[in-house]
Amino acid sequence: MRHGKYPFIIGFLAVPVALYAIFVVGAYLQMFRLSLTDWTGYGTFNDIGFANFEKLWNDSVFWTALRHNGFLLLLLPIVTIALALFFAFLLNVGGGSKGGVTRGVWGSPIYRVIFFFPQLLALAIVAVIFGRVFGPDKSGMINGLLPDSWEPWLFLASERWALTCILVVLVWQAVGFYVVLFSAGMGSIPQEIYEAAALDGASRITLFSKITLPLLWGNIQVAWIYLGIAAFDAFALVNIMTVNQGGPNNSTQVLSLQIYLNAFKYSQAGYASALGVVLFFLALSFAWLTLRVSRRDAVDA
Amino acid sequence: MARHDEGVVTVGRSRIGTFFANTTGIVFGLLMLFPVYWVLNTAFKPTNEVQSFTPTFLPENPTLDNFKSALGEELFLPAMVNGLIITAMAVAAALVVGFLAALAIARFAFYGRKAIILVVLAVQLVPFLALLIPLFLMMQRAQLTNSLIGVALVYLVLLLPYTVWTLRGFISGIPRELDEAAMIDGCSRPQVFWRIILPLTGPGLVATSIYGFIQAWNEFIIINTLNSPQKQNLMAWLLYNQTERGTAWGPLMAGAIITSIPVVVFFLLIQRNIATGLTAGAVKG
Repeated sequence: MRHGKYPFIIGFLAVPVALYAIFVVGAYLQMFRLSLTDWTGYGTFNDIGFANFEKLWNDSVFWTALRHNGFLLLLLPIVTIALALFFAFLLNVGGGSKGGVTRGVWGSPIYRVIFFFPQLLALAIVAVIFGRVFGPDKSGMINGLLPDSWEPWLFLASERWALTCILVVLVWQAVGFYVVLFSAGMGSIPQEIYEAAALDGASRITLFSKITLPLLWGNIQVAWIYLGIAAFDAFALVNIMTVNQGGPNNSTQVLSLQIYLNAFKYSQAGYASALGVVLFFLALSFAWLTLRVSRRDAVDA
Repeated sequence: MARHDEGVVTVGRSRIGTFFANTTGIVFGLLMLFPVYWVLNTAFKPTNEVQSFTPTFLPENPTLDNFKSALGEELFLPAMVNGLIITAMAVAAALVVGFLAALAIARFAFYGRKAIILVVLAVQLVPFLALLIPLFLMMQRAQLTNSLIGVALVYLVLLLPYTVWTLRGFISGIPRELDEAAMIDGCSRPQVFWRIILPLTGPGLVATSIYGFIQAWNEFIIINTLNSPQKQNLMAWLLYNQTERGTAWGPLMAGAIITSIPVVVFFLLIQRNIATGLTAGAVKG
């Protein structure tokens, strides 16, 4: 080698490593530091040890928020992945076969675009649109379409259903991306495998469960992690769509919104940092667990 | 569907199954599309029709008033320009920094390489909101709040993991033999990077810049936290505008359409390659 490699490595990596050291690692360290203080967001602060964490332990809103994150964490990946797999399968091999070549349903290319459409709309716009869809009186889109004699559905104004509305929007927004992702994965499964199975008389369901699913395991694993992280976040939708930010009566409160409100509304930046620390460890353990649990059944990942 | 098609036995596919598949496809396709259609519908309606309690599926008197009123808002154009500047800065910087970092990670073995990859990936896994407080504090100390550069800097950090990861995949896909052949022919290392690897990474650069564009253009939480109302981007303006004016749905929807246009145009241009762009980077180990 005529040139040493280290000048290149150092030259190429200096900027990104510095950016990370300052904006990410540095920021996390500060967050940990601030979580031990009574900082309001302005001026000076005092060290108060673990008082923020004690307060958090006794804060019923925190536990409510955590439970809601748990609800989303459980349902968002399952529902989204199931729908995305179903449609990806439909678009790729669901339409019957001609001349021994399996194809998608009629109009597959159009569906591909349609399914990807929500992905193009910013979360903010999606939130605004669905605020309109879920309007709690006759001016709301769904209520407007219901017969006049019906009581209008409350949707986001209902303590019982508000969080489900958020879940629906999260799924609506995410599903297209995973249809495309899984479609790409299915496209790389050799046709011969399907043909061989088809010759043996396999039905659509058998094709799906015995061929498609195992061969897509790697993709599904990735999808699970990303959707899980989205469930931990969910800030944009909850912040914009819900009644009184997280209402009614905290029925849509989530951790990320608690962080935001404490930091920028309630002037409790120290406490908000403590919540951030909790979110940090929860998200990392979730990802670590997912990778550990799913690793050993991975097929050719 | 015939069981025997040109002599080839086909899958056990009944007419009913195909009908079922097509119907579900259409129904869910419509469900996916309906809200988007409703935005368009609302945007072209005059105010009295928007507020009417009997919804109509098409505007009776289509009008461009909503667009005019959105465009005429005081902060609309500044917000658009701010958004374009910030996005351009963040994406350009992410491409340069990300390409070089990806080169180093893909082409050299060195101490700490695994650690760097791990940190970059781990960071992606934590909701960014957790970092909003310390970032705000840091930017304030550096006097970068209420500045376009400050926001672009944060966006750059946000875009880097995906950029590096995707480009790394593309670069790993280029055979090392090409590098070696070029070096035997007298190319220096920098020349190899510039003349061989950079052009071959083209599709990856396109894919990552599109991703970066969409992310930066659509972001509103960070910019809303760091900047004053005069220095927002379109997305933040849209939300700010909504809370200020309550339920002026017509102009709001018109604003939403205008805000989405750049992303949609981008998407339609590259629509065919989107799956490749999304996944290509992930494949090569």
